[in-house]
Amino acid sequence: MKRIETVEISQSGSTNTTCPYCGVGCGVTVSTGGDNDVRVKGDKAHPANYGRLCVKGSALDETLSAGNRLLRPKVNGEDVSWEQALAYSSGKLKSIIEQYGPDSVAFYLSGQLLTEDYYVANKLMKGFIGSANVDTNSRLCMSSAVAAHKRAFGGDLVPGCYEDIELADFLLIVGSNTAYAHPIVFQRIAKAKKENPNLTVVVVDPRRTATCEIADIHLPIKPGSDGFFFNGLLSFIADNGCIDDEFVHQHTDGFAAALAQAKLQVPDTKSASQACDVDEDVLRQVYNYFVATDRVVTIFSQGINQSTSGCDKGNAIINCHLATGKIGKPGAAPFSITGQPNAMGGREVGGLANQLAAHMSFDVPHHVRLVEAFWQAPNMAEKEGLKAVDMFQAVNDGKIKAIWIMATNPVVSMPSADFVRTALEKCELVIVSDCVDNGDTTKTADVLFPAQGWGEKQGTATNSERCISFQKSFLKPMGEAKPDWEIISLMAQHLGFRDGFSYNHPVDIFREHARLSGFENDGQRGFDISALENITREEYETLKPTQWPITQSSPTGTQRLFGDGQFFTPSRKAQFIPIAARYPAESPTSDQLIMNTGRIRDQWHTMTRTGKASRLLSHVDEPYVQINPVDAKRFNVTANSIAHLKNHNGEFFGRVKVSTDQRQGDIFSPIHWNSAFASSSRVGALVSSNVDPVGGQPEFKHCPVSLEAFTPSVEGFCLIANDLSGSWTPAVDYWVKVTLISGTKYILANKGVDGCSIGDFKAAFPQVESWVDMSLSSGVAARAAGFIGNQLKVVVVLDSQVDKLMDSTWLESKLETEVETDIRYQLLAGSPGDGASAPGKIICSCFQVGENQIKSAIEEGCASVESLGENLKCGTNCGSCIPEIQQLIPG
Amino acid sequence: MAAGRLLTEMQAYDLSRFQITVIGDEHQGSYNRIMLSSVLAQDSIVSDIILKDRNWFDEHGILFHCGQVSEIDRSCQHVVCEDGTRFSYDKLVIATGSRSAKIPADNQQLKGIYSFRSIADTEQIIDQAQQTKHALVVGGGLLGLEAAYGLAKRGVEVTLVHRSGWLLNRQLDEAAARLLQRQMESLGIRFALRNEVVEFCGAANLSGAKLKDGQQLSVELAIIATGITPNAELGLSAGLLGDRAIQVDDYMLTSDPNISALGENVEHRGKTFGLVAPIWEQAKVLAGRLSGQPTLAFENQPVATKLKVSGIQLFSAGEIEEATNQQSLLLHDEAAGIYRKLILEENRVKGIVLFGDVASGQFYFDLMQREVSVEAILPGLIFGEVFLEKDIVRDLLSAA
Repeated sequence: MKRIETVEISQSGSTNTTCPYCGVGCGVTVSTGGDNDVRVKGDKAHPANYGRLCVKGSALDETLSAGNRLLRPKVNGEDVSWEQALAYSSGKLKSIIEQYGPDSVAFYLSGQLLTEDYYVANKLMKGFIGSANVDTNSRLCMSSAVAAHKRAFGGDLVPGCYEDIELADFLLIVGSNTAYAHPIVFQRIAKAKKENPNLTVVVVDPRRTATCEIADIHLPIKPGSDGFFFNGLLSFIADNGCIDDEFVHQHTDGFAAALAQAKLQVPDTKSASQACDVDEDVLRQVYNYFVATDRVVTIFSQGINQSTSGCDKGNAIINCHLATGKIGKPGAAPFSITGQPNAMGGREVGGLANQLAAHMSFDVPHHVRLVEAFWQAPNMAEKEGLKAVDMFQAVNDGKIKAIWIMATNPVVSMPSADFVRTALEKCELVIVSDCVDNGDTTKTADVLFPAQGWGEKQGTATNSERCISFQKSFLKPMGEAKPDWEIISLMAQHLGFRDGFSYNHPVDIFREHARLSGFENDGQRGFDISALENITREEYETLKPTQWPITQSSPTGTQRLFGDGQFFTPSRKAQFIPIAARYPAESPTSDQLIMNTGRIRDQWHTMTRTGKASRLLSHVDEPYVQINPVDAKRFNVTANSIAHLKNHNGEFFGRVKVSTDQRQGDIFSPIHWNSAFASSSRVGALVSSNVDPVGGQPEFKHCPVSLEAFTPSVEGFCLIANDLSGSWTPAVDYWVKVTLISGTKYILANKGVDGCSIGDFKAAFPQVESWVDMSLSSGVAARAAGFIGNQLKVVVVLDSQVDKLMDSTWLESKLETEVETDIRYQLLAGSPGDGASAPGKIICSCFQVGENQIKSAIEEGCASVESLGENLKCGTNCGSCIPEIQQLIPG
Repeated sequence: MAAGRLLTEMQAYDLSRFQITVIGDEHQGSYNRIMLSSVLAQDSIVSDIILKDRNWFDEHGILFHCGQVSEIDRSCQHVVCEDGTRFSYDKLVIATGSRSAKIPADNQQLKGIYSFRSIADTEQIIDQAQQTKHALVVGGGLLGLEAAYGLAKRGVEVTLVHRSGWLLNRQLDEAAARLLQRQMESLGIRFALRNEVVEFCGAANLSGAKLKDGQQLSVELAIIATGITPNAELGLSAGLLGDRAIQVDDYMLTSDPNISALGENVEHRGKTFGLVAPIWEQAKVLAGRLSGQPTLAFENQPVATKLKVSGIQLFSAGEIEEATNQQSLLLHDEAAGIYRKLILEENRVKGIVLFGDVASGQFYFDLMQREVSVEAILPGLIFGEVFLEKDIVRDLLSAA
């Protein structure tokens, strides 16, 4: 429970809504009460999570504070009224369109937007402005899978559902650290594994991730070799007589060509093991599981998608399921797990530049006319627009003169992120709608529109299993924030498109969207929710999570697709796609390493929201570079030192983690840190703009980089109480900002000693009334604690090496507390001094249980996750930490 | 006091096998001189500080002769007292102690100027203080500060004159001394640092003092506590070797095989003594030798200083300022009046200055004595033993 000073609840009681983070799309029950108390727990009735909630979802209440919120519209940095902001930006947009044509403007949207927001934006651009330059950050996470699904099934259609995971006897998890990226799906897998002794789990991932904790086999394939792995599997299926001939014959096209291509490239397990650089026997064993088990689900995510051959990899997976008929049946499906909460909803309305709306395409001419007629569109776009990477290239090249970015942070998340920043900085008009004002992207904006955040806005979102859930509001909007659909509608009206955008409530938009999905559909398009086209506002606001299609014949939704063997291609048959598997676009030179990127357990995207929750930074508080011990030695870095990664795109700094979880030659860095949280730790800055030729998705998982040890003379940290935090940023070479409960922590390192003395830091806090100092006359070791009255306000700790710094956890808890004068100096010791051991590295973020506590409980006889949970409560809330707790238990 | 301690140590063996005569000029017997400050500060009374009164000597068959020895006749092994009494000896122990050092000021004969060494001094000071509004203390060492504190507690306005730029300049560095000064000032004591008394003024009774910087103080009482001078004349004039004091070897034997000495009147390897701890050690060594017991040689160990001023915490040992080959580990809370400094040389503790919070003083002292490397516990060492990992501390203290 969190009492939030700056928010105001709009209704007391219990509200069922949907989590705004990953694509699992969990239901959240929010209890709100007097005094602006907000309490968050899993919605027991929601089919995605049945009451469970991961640590990010559990900490949603901590992210609602005013902190970094954008509260008022701004033009060129000045607060203005909505009317002024809209008049200014619509005027500029109009003149740019008049002078340079519709393709000189672009919208860049986000999987964080709700379906209704997305729908209106897409309609405005494609039907009224007259360009298809609408793309979304879904391009960065799902477009490969989308393209693969379209090629194979004739539509952006995910066949299965979460229940299939529980019904399967073999789970092949490929390119997905489910444990961190989709914790509730992982918990469902873990539970299924416990309850079903026949269930075998194999993880295929170059990196040994937390997901491997429940795996029977981890296959650490060579980065980017997934296509070879599945081509090898297709050959194996054929060679072992495991083809479902009847299914292939009746319901698919193109099998022979696909098999021939697979055979040509990866004829047997030997060639597969060589191509993937794994042990042949183990590989064969995995292939055997696939062919010998009827109920097989292949879970795939960014490891497949974020690749220059992501679309092909998706089809290589689907080919294997089609060949064995393992699709459309309970417990059998290729299953793309979506990254974002509403990536799928965005695609339903046509949020991608190569989509039209309601799963219609530009390459089907009558679709364009159909949508034009439905919208009564005055300026219908006739062709595909620019996909994300090309879009920002066009911004850079001056072809796009105005871009409107909503609910996303491309200066952090795009590949070649420094290039994107430069492009935006020189763009004539950058409009950003966001709920935060300190993002890397908002800094480049000419116009800022304050958008409502989670808890304020409402509308629908669709999760990985095609399930539409309602996100309901329970807070009053902060400042002058408006919902995105309203901001876009107001803009449309200012641009002169009054008729098509006179929505009063998101239900108006949803009805129109539902109507369009059924408009002249006649079963040709998989996406059809026409049964909801007359939904009342009350029904809409109490909509039960429902899986589309939702039609007259299946009004309560559809759990699985393709059970009848019918697909949405012209032939109604699924298509095999011949795959010539490819390795990634860029190969490392002999002195480079391959950087893989991904999520960590407790952060979401670029941290603009999760970075505000102290407990979400207690598991990992610093960007890092995970490296194999052999490479660490070769590149002369040690655990806890700082690595400096560089390539032709940019640079990145991160703390070194040495681990055999990493293959030799590979490193891993998390994607989350933005410039508000770290001096220079945006992985996007290193990623090249190489994209998949079909889906346009960039290759985030394979970036050749050079690595050098960054060797600071001074390392340290600074703790600052909330009221002194202000806008100070340390003037040092390397810093990382960490949100604390009662303040902020900066982790610091500087190459030289100049400008990095205790005195330099103290000078930044003139409000401090008295200081306690500790110093060593030679060297840089020094500590200082600043007080106002006897309240601890600032702590600075410096030393020559990071390993010499004390743990700051205990001191953090003393920030803003009153300390007796005569013992306050002891704070600088960094521990209570009664021999009580510090909790150590936090493993369980929910209950703040540390590694030391868990280890000592194990020594005292706790031998299982369950008994540790009973004793320490660790792992008993969201369960995200269970894989790590498991690792601490010997044996 | 040293003699009293010697007798206590000899009790551990067999006192009755000796015929012992003690000659002393203080009729109270043996008392704890250190506690005179407490008497002045009204924290003790005289009877509390007597260790061995005249009865004790009688009960133990020891002759206590109240008087002063004027001469030692080594050739016939006699001592001669001022009153003409002669005592013969087989073994003689000289424990004549010290007296206040002189200062080069005029008119020190005036009534109202005292040293602060004996019960008699103390009783006179207490008497005089009752009629005194303003007093002067000369000397900002331990004794001078204690005297100033005692007088201040008795309601006397005190000015303390000190030659050095800061108080306790042998035990504290300047920063710590400033904190001490601030705290003493809060008790109502005024300080005149880098200053000296040039001249005392008055007809018969003291009425004022003139300082080097020209200021005139109106005072009716003065205590001189600028240090001590060994009472070594008796021994030296008898031909015992010695420079400033009577020279003794590691077993407290003088150059005469029948004469031993201990206390503030001796020099051992060129060093004289002013603090009690090494003198207790000397008493132990000497008692053993005189009793014919095998005993360890006397070793002059560093000593930690404490100040007996209520509410002031101070601990100092070893060096107080770091030399060029040394570094200091420092903790300073100016507002709270806390200052802790360790002087390190090649990661070994060489000096300790603690003010305001003396926690772990003895621990640091042990580390200094053992000369162990404290590298592994830097810089957290400065916070004290309880903040260090127990295993590391145990290893350090068990190391040679």
